[in-house]
Amino acid sequence: MRDTRRARLILGLLLTAALVILTIDHRTGQDSPLGPLRGMGAAVFGTAEQFGGAVGRPVASFFSAMAGAPGAQDRIKRLEEENARLRAGLSASALDRKRSQELRSMLGLSGLGGYTVVSANVVARRGHPGFEDAVEIDAGTDDGVRTDMTVLNGYGLIGRVVQAGTTTSTVVLLSDPASSAGARLEGGNEIGVVSGVGHGGKLVRFRLLDSTAPLAPGLRLVSFGSQKAAPYVSGVPIGVIERVEATPGELTRIAYARPFVDLTSLDVVGVVVKAPKRDPRDAVLPVLQGER
Amino acid sequence: MIAALALVAAVLVQVMLVNRLPLPMGAPDVVLLTVIGLALTRGPLAGAVMGFCGGLVADLIPPTAHVVGQYAFVYALIGFLAGRGIGGMVPTVIVCVLAAPPLAAAVGGLIGDPRVTLEAMAEVMPVTAAYTLLLAPVVVWLTTRGDRRYAS
Repeated sequence: MRDTRRARLILGLLLTAALVILTIDHRTGQDSPLGPLRGMGAAVFGTAEQFGGAVGRPVASFFSAMAGAPGAQDRIKRLEEENARLRAGLSASALDRKRSQELRSMLGLSGLGGYTVVSANVVARRGHPGFEDAVEIDAGTDDGVRTDMTVLNGYGLIGRVVQAGTTTSTVVLLSDPASSAGARLEGGNEIGVVSGVGHGGKLVRFRLLDSTAPLAPGLRLVSFGSQKAAPYVSGVPIGVIERVEATPGELTRIAYARPFVDLTSLDVVGVVVKAPKRDPRDAVLPVLQGER
Repeated sequence: MIAALALVAAVLVQVMLVNRLPLPMGAPDVVLLTVIGLALTRGPLAGAVMGFCGGLVADLIPPTAHVVGQYAFVYALIGFLAGRGIGGMVPTVIVCVLAAPPLAAAVGGLIGDPRVTLEAMAEVMPVTAAYTLLLAPVVVWLTTRGDRRYAS
């Protein structure tokens, strides 16, 4: 094909335009002037994805059934084991709940409701090509979903809402390397940060802030929660520690945890649209001078 | 018109179907192949323009968690390359498929994207490139064929 001077000029212009858009979007962050454009894209294509989801789901599940057939026996066995473990986990969480209830009544904080959850289906996914890990769900501002809300399913934490359209919203998964969530080790109050490492969400990295605290495979993680429960509410199971990295002489310790949720095949998810009426953490903490 | 429809369809297929298939380790890049296929028969100028527009659409279709403009840049360059041609159709497609992921990583690295690390690149790129090359004959055949039928 001919490679004219004009073609090169246009290419140069286009590349410059792309870089300018990129820079503007990157530098302005949340209040990017491209926000409305993004919203428009979400409105138009989100709707298309919503309708297409009905078609896409059976196809995807068919392929997953085909791919999973040889390993089905293994899977059943593993699921049974997992079931037993989850049951154990459930009783542990019941204990936790009892303890927190005692704490709450002790602090005189009554009327703390549970979380209100809006259920949604995953309609599209991004992850390959590229490095991000995000899904589109078919619930939006019409259903009460806002940005920075926690997304979970029956097994545990999935991620948070980064953009909410009218009928669809975008969720960044726990496995996205750019996302991080506060986490607490079960049994104690040792806290750390969970961040994604990609790899389709098989593992997430847990950075324990106290290097002297015990950290062993098999320990479980729950979300630590953020201020005002945004973007993460507290107490949602995250995963179980699989391997601890030896980091002698460092201030933090690093372990890799397997999420309870299978982040590679998500379908029905829930968005926490309402946190407890009062944030228990505010009530527990003494009010500091000069802080809001 | 046909090109625009094909690009939008490719992006939708990518996020709705391909990315949700439980393929181990990665997935093919259908949008990239569509841009290459469309550019092959239309020359560098049209290729660059189509790549830019297709990339912009890919940047805007939800779910997105990356910066707008990243794929517009990558696909514009790839569209130009594919339209210009590098000694025959097969080498062109292979070079373009192999060049796109490092290019995307470079643009991501340029703005300090924390997701772009050497580990992630070493893990994802070969698999993605392999899947994409496997799917290349089908998509390229479909796009070039559609072009001949409607353009003439």
